[in-house]
Amino acid sequence: MSYLYDAIDPIERASFDAHLATCEQCRTELSELRNVRVQLGRWTPPGLASAPDAASPTGRLAVFWARLREIPAWAQVAAALLFLGIAAGIANLDVRYGRDGLVVRTGWSNPPNPSSLANPLNSAGAVPPASLAGPESKPWRGDLAVLEERLRADLRASEGAMRAAMSHAGGAGTSAPGVEAEVTRRVRALIDESEHRQQRELALRVADIMRDVNAQRQADLVKIDRSLGFIQTNTGVEVAKQRELLNYLVRVSQRQ
Amino acid sequence: MTWTDEELVARSIRGDADSFNELILRWERPIYALAYRQIGREEDARDVCQETFLRAYRALSGFRGQAKFSSWLYRIALNLCRDWLRRERRAPTVQAPEDVDLTDLAAAREPSESIEDLVARRDLSRTVEQAMALLPEEQRTAIILKEYHGLTFQEIADLVECPLSTVKTRLYQGLSVLRRELARATSASQR
Repeated sequence: MSYLYDAIDPIERASFDAHLATCEQCRTELSELRNVRVQLGRWTPPGLASAPDAASPTGRLAVFWARLREIPAWAQVAAALLFLGIAAGIANLDVRYGRDGLVVRTGWSNPPNPSSLANPLNSAGAVPPASLAGPESKPWRGDLAVLEERLRADLRASEGAMRAAMSHAGGAGTSAPGVEAEVTRRVRALIDESEHRQQRELALRVADIMRDVNAQRQADLVKIDRSLGFIQTNTGVEVAKQRELLNYLVRVSQRQ
Repeated sequence: MTWTDEELVARSIRGDADSFNELILRWERPIYALAYRQIGREEDARDVCQETFLRAYRALSGFRGQAKFSSWLYRIALNLCRDWLRRERRAPTVQAPEDVDLTDLAAAREPSESIEDLVARRDLSRTVEQAMALLPEEQRTAIILKEYHGLTFQEIADLVECPLSTVKTRLYQGLSVLRRELARATSASQR
């Protein structure tokens, strides 16, 4: 091989030359191998610029830098999975398989039940109130109804306790009718003030919830828009490749 | 002024995109030719060629200059070709003749070459391609690196990580197979 490729030192070359002079078989083999090398020299690959997208060096360089900036496929898949995971989390996705078959619903489409919230240990079989289960119901209405129900229960309880205390005091004969009326008036005033405070709190909470929902919706829309952009870009590239392949096939079939 | 590969690499590492462009333009044809002769498909060879430069660019800061830049590129390209062949689980393909369009033929003709000679040259090129596709991968690699890229025995040995004597053995075995196959093809065409 060293002799064939002229990568041999002069002493070894002289020695091999002497051998060749006397060995017909080696001379023949060397000649045939040289002929193979000549034939190998005739093999030329198709031109690099024979593809439409690689027609010029400038075009090829542009393709190179564009590909360098491309997000790898694995990263795109990871991003898509992350997006789906976050979306499922936000939507409070609930997938169940039971007597009714496979049921998939989001937390937003299933408002929380007041009774189940009041007693979380006994939430099985809870049915949402008819007024809240309608298609027009909003996600925050459930929370609102629960809070309202709680406040009313608290007020009823405190009013009942106050009345009981007053009747107990009246029974002991230590209170005049004027005093009782005054106490009742003050209690009413306290109740009214408490109701106003609770209503303000409710209004604030509702406003907070609505703002959060709107912000999340906007963010989701932006993400969806970006994902669609990605998909459209990739689809465009694929279509271009398919078109190129189709053109090639048509050209070949026409030539045949 | 003409920069050496290593100077261009150093400038590329410092963020000079033009220097890397220069490296691409300098080496894309040899890398593409290597990929084409290894896997036998134009489009895949172009992909391998581009992927070679993408990988080289991303790993450029890790290039320490122990080997020549070209050897480093060849190694990346050979690894990609090997991956491609293993993924496809097959020997290099020989593409069907795309065309026998005389216009195309004439464009590829040497000034002193007749159309008949040109057709004969194309046929021979194809015969060699078919014979090369029959070789085991390591023999084919050794022949390609030696015949078409002019690497020394030692450079090939370093590149494919085998002893120098093994490179010579692979070359001899590969050339012997080619001698037989080319002789067979020649006698078949004369019949």
